[in-house]
Amino acid sequence: MHYIPRWLRRGLFNLFAWTVILLIVLPLVWMITTSIKPQSELFLIPPAFFPEEVTFEHYRRLLTETPFLTYLRNSVILAGGTTVLVIVVATLGAHSLVRFSYPGRETIAGAVLFTYLLPSVVLVIPLYFLMAALGLVNSLFSLVIAYTSFALPFALWLLRSFMSAIPPDLEAAAMVDGASRFRAFIDVILPQAAPGIISTALFTAILAWNEYLFALVLINSDASRPLTTGVMNMLVTSFNIEWSLLMAASVMMSVPLLVVFVFLQKYLTRGFGAGAVKG
Amino acid sequence: MSGLTLTSVTKVFGSTTAVDRLDLSIGANEFVSILGPSGCGKTTLLRMLAGLEQPDSGEISIAGKVVNDLPPSRRDIAMVFQTYALYPHMTVAGNIEYPLRKRGLSKAARKEKLKQAAELLQLGELLLRKPRELSGGQQQRVALGRAMVRDPQIFLLDEPLSNLDAKLRAHMRAELIQLQRRIGRTMVYVTHDQLEAMTMSNRIAVIRNGRLQQFAPPQEVYDKPANEFVAGFIGTPPMNFIDGVLAADGSFKHGELRLDLGALQLTQGFQPAADGTPVRLGVRPESLCFDDDGQNARVTVIEPVGHELIVMFDYFGVELTARVAPNCGWSVDDEVRLRPVIDQLHIFDPDDGRRLNAD
Repeated sequence: MHYIPRWLRRGLFNLFAWTVILLIVLPLVWMITTSIKPQSELFLIPPAFFPEEVTFEHYRRLLTETPFLTYLRNSVILAGGTTVLVIVVATLGAHSLVRFSYPGRETIAGAVLFTYLLPSVVLVIPLYFLMAALGLVNSLFSLVIAYTSFALPFALWLLRSFMSAIPPDLEAAAMVDGASRFRAFIDVILPQAAPGIISTALFTAILAWNEYLFALVLINSDASRPLTTGVMNMLVTSFNIEWSLLMAASVMMSVPLLVVFVFLQKYLTRGFGAGAVKG
Repeated sequence: MSGLTLTSVTKVFGSTTAVDRLDLSIGANEFVSILGPSGCGKTTLLRMLAGLEQPDSGEISIAGKVVNDLPPSRRDIAMVFQTYALYPHMTVAGNIEYPLRKRGLSKAARKEKLKQAAELLQLGELLLRKPRELSGGQQQRVALGRAMVRDPQIFLLDEPLSNLDAKLRAHMRAELIQLQRRIGRTMVYVTHDQLEAMTMSNRIAVIRNGRLQQFAPPQEVYDKPANEFVAGFIGTPPMNFIDGVLAADGSFKHGELRLDLGALQLTQGFQPAADGTPVRLGVRPESLCFDDDGQNARVTVIEPVGHELIVMFDYFGVELTARVAPNCGWSVDDEVRLRPVIDQLHIFDPDDGRRLNAD
């Protein structure tokens, strides 16, 4: 066997790693540069990687001449509403699945997971009829319900594993110390489960923010379209596709998620360090 | 009056009966140990006293009042958990103040109580630390402090010393006894460690398979075990047992072995048959003496433990363990003369294990 010097091994490894990173990052960079290029530079051959002239014209148009802000508002409401609903239900549900024993507990947990296994295409048509019957089509509320229905199983299972790692004695101690069961849940379980709750919330918010299929089927009015279908709508309805405008919209769509993720990632790692005291 | 009474308490989990028709009456300010092997139901019993488990039948009363339906928060009890169960996200001060906060005490009152507890348990410099920054002994003291601050009538302690190393355990044992004498409260102490139970308790309740075997002061449990299980469970090294036949004239036979047990008073209602009734003889390791009146026994194993030797003998085909002074000068395969001290022997019914001695 040949001996490969350490510097060479490291060099090769770094080269490989950076190649992979570039491959992943390139489309994102292209998206950003395209969004700040003037229309005239878009189809240059050979393509200009860095724009000769930087313009924020597309962003201005996006915010003033298109319904982008409406879509953004709808997406924020959707992601926020879904996350809150999912977290409330899943936290209580996971706690119940971990701490209480009642007939059919495992069956419930399994059945919940089963719905997660179904492809969403299978669910979307029945859900549409259901929403139509309830008169909820074209409302953001219908999407919140729909997203909750497929985010909840995963959230429940994720939180269940977090909850089962919390020593049951903590809750018992709080109850002996004078707290009601619900108070013990608030005082002791929630702080312990916080890292799990935050990562579950993050997962749910991203899911709701990026969802396309349900939004496409259940929402037909421009007033309640979220960003995903809204931006696609902008693309489909224009005769002349304005790529720069579209890229600007894509950048704007990604920014909130990036901000949230960067902020919460710090919180996540800090939270994971704070495990419960084991005897 | 803040005694504790259990009347025919039963708790079943699925197909196992954790606690089986248990009766127990604990006096005010008494220190009672619940002693038994792992899985005997003692922790379940404690959790029922705390209100964390509901008995399936039977009654639990505190200070004469039935508390079956009271939630843990409304029974005047405090509990120290085996894992300490300190709230990891709160400081030591936060942990100790938590029960006071739940009772709506003012900030000034909480401060005062916290100060007292910190002084008593020497937690002064630790108050602002988080539980994970503390050693096992310190965590243990915080758990005690959290139980003590609100001055409950009854303390429940679930193997609170089992996570400490041997030296600290001995130290905390002494501290706990002092503490109980000082604050004078009822304490129910669950343990599987007979040394803890023997040294600390006013009375010991020995439990096996969810059933109460004996409830008596430590010395009585040792000297007059109610049955074979208690006799074998308490005492290190454990009691020796010899199966044999007891005749009406008081002679005990096991193979070639003959002992005259005529001096032992037997319980009324037990009358050995003329040609002998099967019994099990219990011999404590310190109830063996070595002199010329004894019969031959061969040394098989010698275990030095420092202040004494644990020596095993082959005595008429039975393995006997004895405690011997380290200067005896024996070695393995030596023949010695060995004699059980008759008035210290125990006789048990081999079928139900009950003790047949009269006292």
